[in-house]
Amino acid sequence: MTIAVISGLFIGILFGFALQRGRFCMNSAIRDLALLQDNTLMKAVGIAVLVQMFGFPLLSWAGLITPSPKPLFWGANLVGGIVFGIGMVLAGGCASGVTYRVGEGVVAALSAVIGLAAAGTITAMGFLKPVMSYLQTNTKIMVGEASPTLANIFGLPYEITALVLSLVLGAIWLFVAMKNKEEVEASEGSLTQRIFVKGWTWLPTGIVIGIIGILAYWSSASAGRNYSLAITSGWITFVKKYIVGVPDTKIGWDAWLIVGIILGALVASLIAGEFKIRWPGWKTILQTLGGGLLMGFGAVTSAGCNVTHILSGLPLLSFGSLLGSISIALGAWLMAYLIFVRPNQA
Amino acid sequence: MTEITKTLDVRGKICPYPDMDTMTTLKKMQKGEVLEVLLDYPLSVERIPRNLKKQKHKLLEVEKLDGPNHRMLIEAHGLK
Repeated sequence: MTIAVISGLFIGILFGFALQRGRFCMNSAIRDLALLQDNTLMKAVGIAVLVQMFGFPLLSWAGLITPSPKPLFWGANLVGGIVFGIGMVLAGGCASGVTYRVGEGVVAALSAVIGLAAAGTITAMGFLKPVMSYLQTNTKIMVGEASPTLANIFGLPYEITALVLSLVLGAIWLFVAMKNKEEVEASEGSLTQRIFVKGWTWLPTGIVIGIIGILAYWSSASAGRNYSLAITSGWITFVKKYIVGVPDTKIGWDAWLIVGIILGALVASLIAGEFKIRWPGWKTILQTLGGGLLMGFGAVTSAGCNVTHILSGLPLLSFGSLLGSISIALGAWLMAYLIFVRPNQA
Repeated sequence: MTEITKTLDVRGKICPYPDMDTMTTLKKMQKGEVLEVLLDYPLSVERIPRNLKKQKHKLLEVEKLDGPNHRMLIEAHGLK
């Protein structure tokens, strides 16, 4: 048992548990903003990003991680992000969303992850690789030797910039919330009930996921993989090792993370009495499989899914992740408009 | 005993169909008519009540059945 196995699995179980309890899905977060004018989940995402933006610099100062922002290749970020966004609306969940729902017994989520893993592998090493390579190589922008971030384009160090930015954004948020007299919805029942039985509200969800992201970066870096949470790469590892049979493929930290997420969500949903094998019919299975395929291509092309770009990438202040995130949202809104808004306007 | 006008079964449906189907069905109903929704998706059980308020539909009852299954009774506001 290596450190990668134990720590990846452990963080995955925590992450899966929190995802299931918080119903933390970025597909819903992004889509609901436009579709239902509901920003509850987006607030959880925002808190998680700010918590990590505060935590990553501290880890870096302590010498536990080396900040590794994703590169900016605008063509790949744009095309990959939009395709990913379209895919996740069809799949009914983002990369982390469909992964944790496998543990809840959602069969449609299983077909989505099969699509994600398959197309991810085909784009990383199969016949779609030239498309990905072309976009990434020809639109790459660097700042000196480094990937551009909000800090290094101004010649500032990452740590202090991120720390100050997280505090400033947090203060603005608090100010606006107080001005609008926004109330944090209180959960009822005993503490055990609130943790294990009822769904978490957005504030604890965001804080817990942010802290898990910080722990994840630290534990993943100790295992020799210098990045925080990510989903697609772990799924691709399984296909490479067990289906394609690439020699010497190691089941590393990110692959164990996936196993942990499914286990964590399974445990959480069993305790809460929310586990159920849900069969949606073949039409939905095909739709989510197609969505998953688009997500796999998009994630590998853009060098990141919603977790890599939004959850882990924005706290690293990466421009590539920022563009990736915006593109994912654009793709998601476009698809949500086409399949949910337009048919109902007639 | 509330009289149920219509029943919508969205069990097994993926995100966000439970919400969308509920909202679009309510939109087509007359004021005072009652919609019964059967659902098993935890996020929607929490999200539908939040969004009903904005559309001024009235949530009469949420009943937890076995496992993740829930039954909701909603009185339509009658937008038509």
